[in-house]
Amino acid sequence: MIKRYAALIRNAWLVDLQYRASIVLWLLWGVTEPAIALGIWWAIAGDGSVAGYARADFARYFFAVMLINQLTIAWDSWYLDRWIRDGELNYRLARPLHPAHEAVAENIAYKARTASVILVVWLVVAAAWPAVRLPLDPGRWALTFVAVLLAAAMRFFISFTTGLLAFWTTRATAIMELHAGVSLFLAGRIAPLALLPPAVAGVAGALWFRSMLAFPVDLLTGAVHGADAIVRGLASQVVWLGIWIVAYRIAWSRGIRKYGAVGG
Amino acid sequence: MRGRWIPLLGAFWRLNLAEELQYRANFVASVLGTLFSMATALLTLSLFFHHTTSLGGWDYWEIVVLLGVFNALSGVIEAVLRPGIGQLAGEVRSGELDLVLVKPVDAQGFVSFRRLDIWRFADVVLGLALAGYALTRLGRIPSVAQLVAFALALASAAVVVYAIWVVLMSLAFWFVSVENIAVLFDAVYEGARYPVSAYPGALRFLFVYLIPIAWTTTIPASALTGRLRPEVALAAALVAALAFVLARALWRAAIRRYAGASG
Repeated sequence: MIKRYAALIRNAWLVDLQYRASIVLWLLWGVTEPAIALGIWWAIAGDGSVAGYARADFARYFFAVMLINQLTIAWDSWYLDRWIRDGELNYRLARPLHPAHEAVAENIAYKARTASVILVVWLVVAAAWPAVRLPLDPGRWALTFVAVLLAAAMRFFISFTTGLLAFWTTRATAIMELHAGVSLFLAGRIAPLALLPPAVAGVAGALWFRSMLAFPVDLLTGAVHGADAIVRGLASQVVWLGIWIVAYRIAWSRGIRKYGAVGG
Repeated sequence: MRGRWIPLLGAFWRLNLAEELQYRANFVASVLGTLFSMATALLTLSLFFHHTTSLGGWDYWEIVVLLGVFNALSGVIEAVLRPGIGQLAGEVRSGELDLVLVKPVDAQGFVSFRRLDIWRFADVVLGLALAGYALTRLGRIPSVAQLVAFALALASAAVVVYAIWVVLMSLAFWFVSVENIAVLFDAVYEGARYPVSAYPGALRFLFVYLIPIAWTTTIPASALTGRLRPEVALAAALVAALAFVLARALWRAAIRRYAGASG
């Protein structure tokens, strides 16, 4: 299995290399939203602070959002929607490996390439701009690494499962857009959850949205502290990952029975 | 040559309309999608204004006017630019542009206006309705001069955005593997959601001077709310004319580089 994955990842890496100009464009697109949000909060914070967030806190938060969102985002629903509708899924099913493995390998190759670019940019910016420097804390970084893995796995299953809805509806990607719109607030893309009305932040924490992005980001910047809060955050990630895996298994087994596309 | 333009485009758009009318459910989906994105934009704005009373010197309803302009302009982009000039980069890569160039019409005009995504024109109406509602909330009824200035500024903004698309798409003649170049526009256009004065240092330099996208919404919205004197619209029209001429020149240089090899 490890050998297979190494081959799949190498393959995906080389395909991406062919389209590196395109990947740079997607990367730019991905960082604009947090950059604009940072700009606006920067202006609002002024020389004071908003709900405990001063300018430097916003800068650290949104740099972490850029990095961790890139590491956890999954485009698989768009691919699945297309594969199911135009029949490309057929030959992927004919391979001796579940199509999800190939999708995982593509995610790993894409994220390794793009996130390392963001990381290098962050380091360069941090050299010149103290506001975005993080305290040296290897323990916290190790915990963040685990939280990012859990978030990436969960967002992969959310995206893959939503894409599978294309077995039943032609609007699977619209459902994913809806989810993206909601996660703008609930996952912490537009503002730290601490700045949302408490009831809304509560919903984000009770559902899977905080686990998607806001929790790993807050873990990295240090906004989540104390063993208790960290354990609860990680536990919530594990639970929601489990729930989405179950949802994926149900959608896959039901959908594949229903599927009967021609062509490919 | 010139005389053939109007019946030709007329025929294209008629076919286009007939085709789209088969997919009427798409209209409902498109309007719902637009309403959803307007709602998220308004919620985002409410979140900002939960923690402040003004943004770059603009208050809440003034920025809602700007959001309405942003949506109207998005409608023009989605209805005209993306299905038309937006397909160019892919056609340069695949060589399909050959089929356009052999036609006895102006290639730039043909590429730009051959296809419309008519349902997205609803976004223009929704955007203008939002701007109108925000104006009543502000209690400002624009004068005729302001309305004329607004119309001129909005048309100028559309021309400037068109010129930016032509420039981006022309890059495909030099760098063939940038089929998704429109993504670059989408990224930068996000900056037009807020007034230029709201951005600090580096971002302002990017959105205001490097890629002057933020002006395309700030100026029409300012004309509507009376922040700018109506004469500013004339300056906007001049800038638009200049942008159009430059884009046209770049297009010609790009076409000369093209050596298609389609099948």
